[in-house]
Amino acid sequence: MRKKLLVGLWALFCVVVAHAQTTVSGKVTDAANGAPLGGVTVKAKGTAVSALTGADGAYSIKVTSSVKTLVFSYVGYSDIEAPVRGTSVDVTLNSSVSNLSEVIVTGFGGAQSKRDVTGNIARVKGKDIEYMPTPSVDAALQGKAAGVFVNSQSGKLGQAVTVRVRGNSSISANSQPLYVLDGIPMTSNSQSSYGGATNPLVDLNPNDIESIEVLKDASAGAIFGSRAANGVVLITTKKGRAGKTQVTFNYQTGAAEATKRLKMLNSEEYATLILEGAKYRDDLDGTPLNDPDSWTTYVKDGVMDYYSYGNWSKDPKKTYDWQDAVFQKAPYRQADLQIRGGSDKTKFFSSFQHLEQTGTMIGNELTRTTGRLNIDQKVNDWLDMGVSLSLSRTFNRRLPDDNAFSNPLQAIALMPMTPFTDPNTGLPAGTPPGDVNIPLYYNPILTVNYAKYTQDVYRTFGNAYLKAYLAKGLTFQTEFGMDYLSQNEEGYFQTQTVRNQTRATAGLGSNRGAFVTNYNTQSYFNYSTVIKKHNISATLGTQYQQSQAKYNFTEGTAFPSNSYQKIASAATISSGSSSQTDFRFLSYFLRTNYTFDDKYIVAASARIDQSSRFGKNARSGFFPAISAGWIMTNEKFLQDNKIFSFLKLRASYGIVGNAEIGNFPQLGLFSGDAGYAGAAGQRPSQLRNDDLKWETTKQVDIGIDFGILNNRITGEIDYYVKKTDGLLLNVNIPATTGFNSQVRNVGKLENKGFEFVLNTQNLIGAFKWNTSFNIARNIGKVTDIQGQIIEGGVSSMNRVQEGYAVGVFYTPQYAGVDPANGNALFYLNTKNADGSLNKGTTSNYALAQRIVAGDPNPDYILGITNNFSYKGFDASIFFNGVLGNENNIYGMGRYSSASMLYEDNNTADQLRRWQKPGDITDVPQVRLYRVNGSQASSRYIVDGSYIRLRTVSLGYTFNAKQLSKFKIERLRLYVSAQNLLTFTNYTYWDPEVNADSFDSNIAKGNDFYTSPQPRTILFGVNVGF
Amino acid sequence: MKILINNMSNYFKAALLLSTITLASCEKRLDIAPTASIADNLALNTEGDVLVTLIGAYDGAQSAAAYGGDIMVLNDLIGNSTNINFTGTFAGLSDAYQTQMVSDNGFARDTWAACYNTINRCNNVLTGLAKVTSSTAKRNSVEGEALMLRASMYFELVRLYAKFVGDGDIATNPGVPLVLTPTGNVTSADYPARATVKAVYDQIIADLTKAESLLPNSNGNYVNKWGAAAQLSRVHLMLKDYAAARDAANRVITGSGKILAANFGSNWFTFINNAGGTPGEYLFSLKVTAQDGTNSQNTYFGRNVGIAGTAGRSDCKIRLSHINAYETGDFRKGYFTLSGGNYYTNKHLDRFGDVCIIRLAEMFLTRAEANQRLGTSIGATPLADVNRIRNRVGLPSLATVTLADITKERSFELAFEGHTLIEAKRLQTSVGTLAWNDAKLILPIPRRETDVNKNLVQNAGY
Repeated sequence: MRKKLLVGLWALFCVVVAHAQTTVSGKVTDAANGAPLGGVTVKAKGTAVSALTGADGAYSIKVTSSVKTLVFSYVGYSDIEAPVRGTSVDVTLNSSVSNLSEVIVTGFGGAQSKRDVTGNIARVKGKDIEYMPTPSVDAALQGKAAGVFVNSQSGKLGQAVTVRVRGNSSISANSQPLYVLDGIPMTSNSQSSYGGATNPLVDLNPNDIESIEVLKDASAGAIFGSRAANGVVLITTKKGRAGKTQVTFNYQTGAAEATKRLKMLNSEEYATLILEGAKYRDDLDGTPLNDPDSWTTYVKDGVMDYYSYGNWSKDPKKTYDWQDAVFQKAPYRQADLQIRGGSDKTKFFSSFQHLEQTGTMIGNELTRTTGRLNIDQKVNDWLDMGVSLSLSRTFNRRLPDDNAFSNPLQAIALMPMTPFTDPNTGLPAGTPPGDVNIPLYYNPILTVNYAKYTQDVYRTFGNAYLKAYLAKGLTFQTEFGMDYLSQNEEGYFQTQTVRNQTRATAGLGSNRGAFVTNYNTQSYFNYSTVIKKHNISATLGTQYQQSQAKYNFTEGTAFPSNSYQKIASAATISSGSSSQTDFRFLSYFLRTNYTFDDKYIVAASARIDQSSRFGKNARSGFFPAISAGWIMTNEKFLQDNKIFSFLKLRASYGIVGNAEIGNFPQLGLFSGDAGYAGAAGQRPSQLRNDDLKWETTKQVDIGIDFGILNNRITGEIDYYVKKTDGLLLNVNIPATTGFNSQVRNVGKLENKGFEFVLNTQNLIGAFKWNTSFNIARNIGKVTDIQGQIIEGGVSSMNRVQEGYAVGVFYTPQYAGVDPANGNALFYLNTKNADGSLNKGTTSNYALAQRIVAGDPNPDYILGITNNFSYKGFDASIFFNGVLGNENNIYGMGRYSSASMLYEDNNTADQLRRWQKPGDITDVPQVRLYRVNGSQASSRYIVDGSYIRLRTVSLGYTFNAKQLSKFKIERLRLYVSAQNLLTFTNYTYWDPEVNADSFDSNIAKGNDFYTSPQPRTILFGVNVGF
Repeated sequence: MKILINNMSNYFKAALLLSTITLASCEKRLDIAPTASIADNLALNTEGDVLVTLIGAYDGAQSAAAYGGDIMVLNDLIGNSTNINFTGTFAGLSDAYQTQMVSDNGFARDTWAACYNTINRCNNVLTGLAKVTSSTAKRNSVEGEALMLRASMYFELVRLYAKFVGDGDIATNPGVPLVLTPTGNVTSADYPARATVKAVYDQIIADLTKAESLLPNSNGNYVNKWGAAAQLSRVHLMLKDYAAARDAANRVITGSGKILAANFGSNWFTFINNAGGTPGEYLFSLKVTAQDGTNSQNTYFGRNVGIAGTAGRSDCKIRLSHINAYETGDFRKGYFTLSGGNYYTNKHLDRFGDVCIIRLAEMFLTRAEANQRLGTSIGATPLADVNRIRNRVGLPSLATVTLADITKERSFELAFEGHTLIEAKRLQTSVGTLAWNDAKLILPIPRRETDVNKNLVQNAGY
């Protein structure tokens, strides 16, 4: 259809028409709600004649008598051909399912029809992520774009989210994609200084988004040069539309709960296990069990009775599940108002949102208030201008990081006989004036009750542009954008928390500021022309970005009382600092597209990047790319085939970089942070490297786009190979130098994989059923790290190992329990003479060699969405899946699934422990304070695969006629649920996990008392006026 | 059409010109410098630069993994499992306590790195000495302090990571790598092998001897002549050069002007009782303040016992059998706090207590032991020195003294101050069920180091 449309376009240049003319007029409306559609292109089929509908949906077009059909096309809607009968033709348009007609944003003013794109770009419509209870746009991408892996750190609100486009292509440099919001490279790195990384994308209201384009391959990304190796996410906000002003109000409310609870030992089981372990020790030492120095006496008096306020010996069955104390049912409320409209000259979009979300762990809250105004103005016939401005405030009451005794979920380590409340005071256990050394560890509830740490972020995104129509097909656009992030963090720890915050003996207050000002200016020419069968377009421009971050910090102690919580009242200003860091980029770019005869497409682009981050010997980088496409269905030999309505082959190759290497990594540095006893001091802090530069990624992509049965089935298949070299490594050097590492461009890795996307309209008509499916396989492999040992994560078990994906779990292999004596066994895994591994076992852990025991990177990621509608009813069911990855539970397992090595409560599965010779089990004998199998090993590397019913929703839309008397155009009531079901073999809480205390490029898949994802159920109402 | 093209090219030119002007001025903007740090070529050019680098060396020595206290904690946990009930969950310490360390023990790794980091800071100071021109006294002090800190780091390294003196031949036993120049660019010379134990000790003695001669008698919060002499006394004691150990100890006792505190207990609770003042008996210690410094002896031995300022993880519980071993009437017998059914030593309860490395009492005990062994009575008789220690804690004088009396007194006086492992090795007494020279009592060369530097030989047993 569009092909014919283009044919029509050429006709504009080639054909002179001379026929009798008539005027046809009519109105175009939206099939869903009857609203008029402005800006729809109306074309006389077989000619170049076209017209646009006005704001009221009305059009009129002069056509010759030979014209039999009109073609109506509109972005986001399926094209319709209507026969000309008489002089009036009214049509209704259905929103499009076939994405071949979509317009894809390619950056710097570029936009292409999906059918003409030769790179690999995944597009997610704003509509598909609307009103999801995920506060940030990146989390909403999960399962929606093929090859884009999204993994939230935890169920904590506003916490960082890992996004990997086509695998992890770096080891030490940032591997998150570049986020570009309406042309501005966003500040997307965490500014948090407490409780793990936060996600600055939270400050953007996802409901403001018109579309998200993920540039995945090098040809799409090369125009972003040294910053495109991790993929580029282009976020375009909604614009005004000519036509009647539409007012939409949406309110949703509900509640969330943790997706899972863990089964822990009860008091009786706990006592059985710990006494068994104490007896083992006493027998070993030859101490009588009732000796005052015996382990048994210690465990009974010093542990179980002491930590239960003497209650255990009186009531040994009384059990407290500490998960009850730290999980909560968490309310959720969100109101959105959007107003959209405009005239032919002025168009506007504005929105307001207020969100209140409570965490499923106690003490966690997030509220966000945002407002946006986007205005586009036609100044005169050759000049457009526009401004967009978004203001937001995000308030987050934070939780401590996972690896803190004050992390609420660490309460599971507390003994089941310890009551939540101190019977002597009626206050939470461990609150002064009661015994502060009970429970076993600090009671995290005290930090919730008697401390708070809040983060307030004030964010401004602003962008202004001028666009001049210089000549036919030639425009010049200049933009100035800014992204201001002002953050205030305030903490106060009352005296009750002193066991955890040892410096809070008389209160501890802190106040931190972070101010990130990020300016971007870019100017570019866009040119496009059609000369006979040649369709040419080009972009040429420059971009300059500068970002400066300033930080300050003040801390005070010695407050008059807990009622004084501002540093003004602190008798001692105990700490303070300020710092600053900068980076700048200056770039030039060029992009050209050439299409011949709507069949053959060639595109090329290049960018030159210069940055303050690069060494003085490597200031400037060049990043070229080329791609080609062949629309086979426009060839004669396929034109009449019955199967393919569309078939395109495409291929691309290009070079992109990763410059997210931190600021000033190339300089040899001294730091002035080495004071002693009140005197200022300096220390050598970094070794120099003048040759330091970006990481380079070369990527090949081969793909097929197809449409079958008049595009009722469309899809994409892609195969890619991404090779990265010059990897920035913190190359380990002997610590005898006084340094641990030096940053160098060494090392290579590769990612290859395929992606498959399928969109089908299974049923059309009154009952509609559409399915979108995507699946991606990525195989990452580190090919050369020059012998560096690069480790991270819990107990340094994540490792970069040649021949494997980044961050595999490298640890001895657990071989179960020796039935004879209850010893934990490990496979030796030493090399035999023939190169095979010796699978003999040993109870001497030191002899067991480490092997690759798992991989936190998934083999497959997938998403499947089914949308149904019948009359006013609509339903949507969306599953996402992450398959073939492992998680590391050693963070908790070493304490809580460790045959009661310590006094921590253990998971119920430890009841399977070895007890007597001949027992066959995988849980070793209990030996109090004698390590037996709780060393780091494959015992704690477990399957992290899952398939999750990510969202399911059911709605009913009242029809316009029913509503008209209430002056309402549209009313939809809905119920939706997120994370309703999770299918997994994972043994701890939630397989979607990245413990915030350890999270880095290489340290993925670690669980460390990490809170599970929320299961949220919402009721909502959507009203349109 | 022609007009259009003309217009177009004019616009085009204007716009290009505009962007070129903007961008030409941009290019210079790429040269920006960091603000929190300074480039290495700007860091060591003046006397002031050298002086702040010396402060940085103290800061390095004070890191938790070095003299912030881990060195002492490791000594007590490895060597003292019979007196301490360790219930902490740090795997590296737990393994040390159980003498089940593996080569990637995190504490072994961090202590190694922290010591060498401090050594590099000292080497930077020593290289910049010529910049210290204000006075000879100032330059001598700077040099003496840097030598003292460097020697102390090597002394701790060679005792923890190598076979002890008396276990084989120190002239051939591998010690630790000797790095005596600051690190600039990393070259093959930065992948050193282990020097022999003897070579390391020779360097330590040379550095400390020179430091003692250069340092002033008093030096505020920084090391002075007597700190260096006391450390030298310890070094000689390890090498069983009793005469030199005795003489150095005697120089400290007679020259430093310090006296034993009348009240044993006033040697701790720096902040709680003493407003942050360093106890008078300390010869070599590092200051901990609310702003700066760590006391990891407090971290692991300490506990909040209800007195403001006390804190800690309660990991090291003292066994009753240890407390019962003190004589009745010994003040030190009562220097423990019962809390939550367990005893904790009072020495490390104070969160901001200074970290003591050497205090005067040790010098009396060293002089007594050396005099006893050599049959001399330089400074005082062994009996007089031991009784001085005993009388201070309320114990009656002994009539006669044996070597065993002196070492026993030493073990009580210095209990939980980080001596146990080294004392067992020095006196060749067993540690739990292990012989004094068991391979498990020597820290592993960190696996990270043997992985990255193939010239390093791992210790036996790892």
